[in-house]
Amino acid sequence: MIRILNFTLVLATGLISLGVYRVAEEARISGIELRETRAAIAQENKSMAVLGAEWARQTQPARIQALAERYLNVTDRPAAQLASVSQLPPKFGPQPENAIRNANAVVPESGNSSLAATQSQAQSAAPARTLLHTGT
Amino acid sequence: MSRATDPAALLRGRIAIAALISAVAFTLVTARLVDVMVIGAGPSRTATGIAVPEKRADLIDRHGALVARDLPVSDLYAMPATFWDTAGAAHQLAVATGADEQRLKAAFAPKKGYILVQRGLSPEQRETIMHLGLPGLDFIDSYKRFYPAGRTLAHAIGQVDTDDNGVSGLELGLEDKLRGRADPLMLSLDMRVQYALEHEAAEAIRSFRAKAAGGIVMNVHTGEIWALASLPDYEPNLRKLGPTDSIRNRMTQDVYELGSIFKIFAFTEAVEEKTIRLDEPFSVVSPYRLGHYLIHDFERLGPELPAEMVFAKSSNIGTAQIELRSGPEKQRPFLRKLGLLQPLKTELPEMASPLYPRHWETVEAATIAYGHGISVNPLTFAAAAAAVVNGGTLIHPTFLMHPEPQQGERIISEETSRTMRQLLRLVVTAGTGTKADVPGYDVGGKTGTAEKAENGTYAHHQLISSFCGVFPIDDPQFLVFLMLDEPHGNKESGGFATGGETAAPAVGRIIARIAPLLGVQRRDTYVAANP
Repeated sequence: MIRILNFTLVLATGLISLGVYRVAEEARISGIELRETRAAIAQENKSMAVLGAEWARQTQPARIQALAERYLNVTDRPAAQLASVSQLPPKFGPQPENAIRNANAVVPESGNSSLAATQSQAQSAAPARTLLHTGT
Repeated sequence: MSRATDPAALLRGRIAIAALISAVAFTLVTARLVDVMVIGAGPSRTATGIAVPEKRADLIDRHGALVARDLPVSDLYAMPATFWDTAGAAHQLAVATGADEQRLKAAFAPKKGYILVQRGLSPEQRETIMHLGLPGLDFIDSYKRFYPAGRTLAHAIGQVDTDDNGVSGLELGLEDKLRGRADPLMLSLDMRVQYALEHEAAEAIRSFRAKAAGGIVMNVHTGEIWALASLPDYEPNLRKLGPTDSIRNRMTQDVYELGSIFKIFAFTEAVEEKTIRLDEPFSVVSPYRLGHYLIHDFERLGPELPAEMVFAKSSNIGTAQIELRSGPEKQRPFLRKLGLLQPLKTELPEMASPLYPRHWETVEAATIAYGHGISVNPLTFAAAAAAVVNGGTLIHPTFLMHPEPQQGERIISEETSRTMRQLLRLVVTAGTGTKADVPGYDVGGKTGTAEKAENGTYAHHQLISSFCGVFPIDDPQFLVFLMLDEPHGNKESGGFATGGETAAPAVGRIIARIAPLLGVQRRDTYVAANP
């Protein structure tokens, strides 16, 4: 009886060893694949870091301005912010009717920039004296 | 029955041996598990045992644009003992890496040791070297700091050394914050505003043949520095300076007698102390005698001017008289309260201390009132000027993103701050700073023209010309300061090199360019000095 038990246990041990070996081998192969994948991810991250830096270099304002002047024939003209995003009506919900009705725009005269036109309008509307305490 | 023939004893002995073998096996497995999971989980080490330096975090501007990043590179080491032909190997490696061939030949000649060939090799260079087929080469992974903006921001950001340690600028000042940090560190700087500031400063240098220039854009409520420029600058990605380059940050490392721009503080003190009425007339007959000294104005301004026009027309004579009503006893603590007599503390480590007279008597008080006899760096000046216009509270300039207003110490009353804003507007509408006006943005400001001290006297034709502008004047958000070192008059400026003719128009152009970027909305109303 004890011999049968021993034989069975030895056989079971052998089978389990084979099973463990197979699992260990699969784990080893998976480990290699994991390392390769991690190395590939690290390499991709490095590439992304390099590309991000290159993108930052290519999109420098100085370079963009030089390209715009060279290929788009545009000069460095000041822009004017006439409104902000916060002033836009909400996309959903009630629309501010009054704000829309009252909206208007100043069209610059030909030959003048909008800033210059506005300057002349603004200065004509300004009081003649601009000093503090008009007794001076 | 003997023990050898007793089956039970034999079985117990075999079980004991099997148990011992199992225990040893489990101990080995456990030891290996500990090795893999605990000991092996530490930092990676290279085959040569050279530690890979810890990566520095990225620096980004306030909109997320990349300012500085560690890029992966390789450092190349060689074991000359493995070379058949050391001279040939030195030549091949010098060509492939850009290293000094003579240095390599000398280092390889003894055929021993472990020699550093070149640092910071790109992946392409590494590939080229691999194809040389030389034995005994070892690549160590490392990092090299890269600044995509190049010269733009060079003085503010600073540099790192070959071991990736900060040695100047914010790279040094923020060293602790940049080490061991995964997320990028967001700065208060704005790359676009920085470019506009630098571009206009460079144009002003060219136009007025100045030696140097510098500028600052700062939020007067939060203390955030949006841009800081100092020209000439340098290329931080190179390890050497060109013939015209300069690593001196003129906005923080140098102190200047800033001239009439300092009158802001004399008038702030007078308004706060209520020693003058703004319509009170002051004699401005030149010269004004003060003891053994004579004080002159830049031009004849008439027999007398009201106090507000003394400021607007920048009369030294009038300002000296106004300051003397307070006297040195009040002037010195007032300037100290504004932070003008002590070193400014920011994240930038390079910060020059102010210079001021040890004996501060009547004459010193009069000259300091119009910006002579005291030297401060421009950033210190800007911080004090911001306190004057922001409602009267002291702010601490910062290069880190900090969008909330600072709750600083109150220096002057809100009423004084409002009056000073009106006076600054008057300078632009009817004074020396008219060329800084930008329709729709209601600029206020003050001009400054100082003669440079040289060999114990003032050089009449070597000027520091500056303009400090704030906008919009009824509720100032931003301060723009520009300084030109030794500008020369041109046709456009009528031959004058004063702050009002050189720096003021440049500040006007800067404001026109950056106001939309700063989110300041243009208005069609016109804010007069006395609305």
